[in-house]
Amino acid sequence: MIGIRRHSLAPMRSGSLKRFALSGFLIALMATATALQPSFLSVSNFQNILTQAAPLLIVVLGQAIVILARGLDLSVASLMATMAVVATAFNATEDSMIPIIVAAVVALSAIVGFANGLLVTKRKVSPFIATLAMMIVLQGVRFAYTKGAPAGSLPAGFRYLGTGKFAGVPVNLLAFILLFALLSLALNKSALGRSVYIVGGNPRAAELVGIRSDRVTILCYIACSIMAGLGGLFLVGYVGTVDNWVGRGYELDSIVAAVIGGVSLAGGAGTLSGAAAGGLILVLLFNIVVILGLPVQAQLVIKGVIIVSAAALFVQGQRRAT
Amino acid sequence: MSAIARAAQRLAIEPALVVVTLLLAGLIGVGAMVSDRFATVGNFLAVLEQAAPLGFVAAGQTLVILEGGIDLSVGAIAAAATVFLAGAVNGRDGLMLPMLAAVLALSALAGLVNGIVTARTKVHPLVVTLGSGSVLNGLVLLYTLQPTGKAPTWFENFAFGRAFGLPISALAMVVGFVLVGWMLRKTRLGRNILAVGGNPEAARLSGIGVDRVTMFVYAASGFFSGLAGVYFVSRMGVGDPRVGDPLTLASITPVIVGGTMLGGGRGGIAGTLVGVLLISVLNNVLNYTSVSTFIQWVVQGLIIIAAVSIFSGGSKRP
Amino acid sequence: MSASFAESRAVIALQGISKYFPGVKSLDRVNFEAKAGEVHALLGENGAGKSTLIKTIAGAYTPDEGTIVFNGKERVWSSPGEAKKAGIHVIYQELLLFSELSVAENIFVGDAPRGRFGFVDHGAMVSGAKAILDRLGHRLDPRAKVGSLSVADQQMVEIAKALTRDTKLLVLDEPTAVISGREADLLFERMKTLRESGVCVIYISHRLEEIFRVCDRVTVLKDGRSVGTRDIKSIDRDTLVTMMVGRSLADIFPKKRAQVADSTPLLSVRDLQMPPRVRGVSFDLHAGEILGLAGLVGAGRSEVAHAIFGSMAKQSGTITLCGAAHNAPTPRASIDAGLGFLTEDRKGEGLLMLLDAAANISAPTLREFTRFGLLNRPAEVTSAADEIARFRIAIPGPTAGVRALSGGNQQKVLFARWTRACHRVLILDEPTRGVDVGAKVEIYSMIHDLAAAGLGVLVISSELPEIIGLCSRVIVMREGVLTGELSGDAVDDREIMRLATKNLAAADARDAA
Repeated sequence: MIGIRRHSLAPMRSGSLKRFALSGFLIALMATATALQPSFLSVSNFQNILTQAAPLLIVVLGQAIVILARGLDLSVASLMATMAVVATAFNATEDSMIPIIVAAVVALSAIVGFANGLLVTKRKVSPFIATLAMMIVLQGVRFAYTKGAPAGSLPAGFRYLGTGKFAGVPVNLLAFILLFALLSLALNKSALGRSVYIVGGNPRAAELVGIRSDRVTILCYIACSIMAGLGGLFLVGYVGTVDNWVGRGYELDSIVAAVIGGVSLAGGAGTLSGAAAGGLILVLLFNIVVILGLPVQAQLVIKGVIIVSAAALFVQGQRRAT
Repeated sequence: MSAIARAAQRLAIEPALVVVTLLLAGLIGVGAMVSDRFATVGNFLAVLEQAAPLGFVAAGQTLVILEGGIDLSVGAIAAAATVFLAGAVNGRDGLMLPMLAAVLALSALAGLVNGIVTARTKVHPLVVTLGSGSVLNGLVLLYTLQPTGKAPTWFENFAFGRAFGLPISALAMVVGFVLVGWMLRKTRLGRNILAVGGNPEAARLSGIGVDRVTMFVYAASGFFSGLAGVYFVSRMGVGDPRVGDPLTLASITPVIVGGTMLGGGRGGIAGTLVGVLLISVLNNVLNYTSVSTFIQWVVQGLIIIAAVSIFSGGSKRP
Repeated sequence: MSASFAESRAVIALQGISKYFPGVKSLDRVNFEAKAGEVHALLGENGAGKSTLIKTIAGAYTPDEGTIVFNGKERVWSSPGEAKKAGIHVIYQELLLFSELSVAENIFVGDAPRGRFGFVDHGAMVSGAKAILDRLGHRLDPRAKVGSLSVADQQMVEIAKALTRDTKLLVLDEPTAVISGREADLLFERMKTLRESGVCVIYISHRLEEIFRVCDRVTVLKDGRSVGTRDIKSIDRDTLVTMMVGRSLADIFPKKRAQVADSTPLLSVRDLQMPPRVRGVSFDLHAGEILGLAGLVGAGRSEVAHAIFGSMAKQSGTITLCGAAHNAPTPRASIDAGLGFLTEDRKGEGLLMLLDAAANISAPTLREFTRFGLLNRPAEVTSAADEIARFRIAIPGPTAGVRALSGGNQQKVLFARWTRACHRVLILDEPTRGVDVGAKVEIYSMIHDLAAAGLGVLVISSELPEIIGLCSRVIVMREGVLTGELSGDAVDDREIMRLATKNLAAADARDAA
């Protein structure tokens, strides 16, 4: 008899095992944290953590999509900072400017994503190199424009977007949930999303069933860059200041989160919810470090151990270099 | 482009190597036009001298990428080495040489751990080395956030000294490249590295000890990263935990630009050397122009893209 | 046959060998032995366990039960390298070559001759390679990069690899899957030479004609068990097939379709040029017709198919599909126009290994389950379940993965995909490569049904019995051009081979009429 189970695309067994392991780990983490600090398990603390995590989670969504399409985007952090600088360049102080700023950021991010996608598909540059180069270029552009010291101003509304609450829920978390819902829907329930999985799994086979691999890949890079741009805005809203290094480290963190969450670096396997869970695990770990009173550098150590253990647990598919 | 490719194939040289050498020649030409001070012996020697750390890590990275992997722990190992060496010596000059030997051995050991984990588990080397690099980096920063330790003054000769009129560090770099190149060509291990990178399953079924090859290349990369750390001790006299930050990604660029494809099995050390020179000369030329550092970054990124897209047209590797 | 054959001892004997994989018992207490100086065939459907048996002999797998006795001594291999050192050499179907290394380096891979101080002596490697190639009578530049060689030459390099050591046991896994005709003859000569010199050769093939031609004994595997070992002289084709599958040859091919009356062609190709592989090909395909496209590997047949489908660019030529111009197609446009293409390389280019059967089957026709961009997954799964039942695919369900399926079932999944996707023309490239006899029969009848329903089917195949058994009309290609067309009773294997190897330059005296 046909058992129409959940709409998962990966071979059944490994998919549900991964999900189980992830949730289990998340729960175990939260239990540990609560044991260390009873106030952990409070609504306000959760809100704090989630508010802090939201920008990263938004970026993780985009990175996961690109990795699914058999790519990688090392330029996300640099893009975040560059878009933050772009936002301040408007020198705006009225909240009415916010939609315009956001639109500009989305548009510019899309262009960067498009460029990344073009390099990878049409010029056949490896994603690692292409996005690495883009990261450097963006960095140069941003520093050249600011001459090392960002100036300009942002409307106060961004602070609200970054740290405020709407109906008791942090705004940036709402934004993440909205974006997550949208992208999840696209990825899991649409033909385009299915194409992403097909292209990521086997680009040549995708061509042979009539899918335009190049177009799909470019769209993924565009999506990733837009997420990075938005993430940059939310991060700036959260932190409250803009400098040339907004989002520093987010490129590797977003990859780590995706990998922990079961997204395969070989492409074609993994879920957005897994990646988001991975991001959450990462942030929780950082939090535990702080609760334990350990210096912030300990986060690096923990991050390293976690990513290798998680990957070993899920045993990623092929072993080819990026 | 295909004319170059055909000519290169007849000479049994990688077409990519030809392209990148031409780029280098072109760059030198541009440099000469930009400034008189560029085309001087003194300037060239200075470029070579400063290229050393990049050269060391690129050499190690070449081996790893040829084998089909990647090493993202380069910077962390270099930072650990530099802090360890300067800190362990800390003014007691007699300890310098034994500590030098120790730090190089430990760096190789760190790389070996990467190799063992990569070989024994099925985890992607990107993940393994990212993780180990992160752990090591964290440990180093937990130990010290500021430059620490003190190396004997005579040690600065490694970074700044001359022998036969040539910078010692550059000589060491060239010797390193020659050794690696010769090993790749003339030893079974070297040929096996290329085989494993080209077709790992075939290599295994052909009786090659794939695990041992893997462990070797990562250990070698660890060694070279440690060597870079040693260089920085020589240059700065202290151990700065942040030296590794730009080094990791920087170690990959000359390898790729020099024609060794990510995915393994193709390319070589000669290309990496040219790649190292290309990037070092590029930075040098840009310094002579009145272009701001920031624009230099942009140019560098664009050159990388250009170099890679010219001959990436062939095989697309993930 | 060497004189002392009857008394020669077993070079290798497997006793009670079992090998398990998760969910599957690949080998079940198999007893097998092969002697020095014989060519011993190993026959069986896909999934019968031949590949596992070979890998166990070669040291790539460790048996879970049983013992291996090699040259009289019980051995346990801890790695393929150990087995190699002992004198066992396997030439796998997927050639294990390194395209970036030279011929000489490939021949001596892992084993390069050493010179002074233990360093690799490149000169010795090249001359050693040359010596071996001369022994084989095959001219190749030892310095050439293997990636630049033809498939047949690459296979020669593989065989040369076997001669670097004192090989006592040579295993060939479906070597003629990628070569045919003259090159295959050469291969058989080599095998005979090796046999004369006392080497034990184990030969795996689906092609019964070859087995009868070259082998002394044959062992049949079925479902992981050994059905029996027979002398070739004392057995006939039908018995062999029955041992393998429980069916006789006559039942394999459905009754051939009558020749189609002339009607407007569904597909028309005129002067297709794709230099250097295709140099002017023209043909028609009619509705209800099964047209065979025969020729040796490398003749350019697959390229023609790719050009028609749009997955490879052509330089010039016109293609007409159902009366409409189809000249610069993309795969998408071809599919929309009712054209389907089942490619040669099902694992690399056909199947989506990470997705389930339903996703694989619906891939080219996703639009049918899409509304407003959203996918109707339940409908997709139901439809796939229907196809699975219709094609009798042995799979747990439509949401199960395809990676673990046998070759025959994987091919059926692809068949299901393309039969739902195309309603005009279907191109099949090597439709039964790596497929067991049981599934072959089913696939042949599917092809037959498609033609009966009015589709035009183009079958590209290197298996002569298949072409002859299926097709009412056959066109033959050689080196990029069509050398002839056969139909009806004129379709026989000698004629096809003659056209496939026909020399094209009048001055070449090698051609025999």
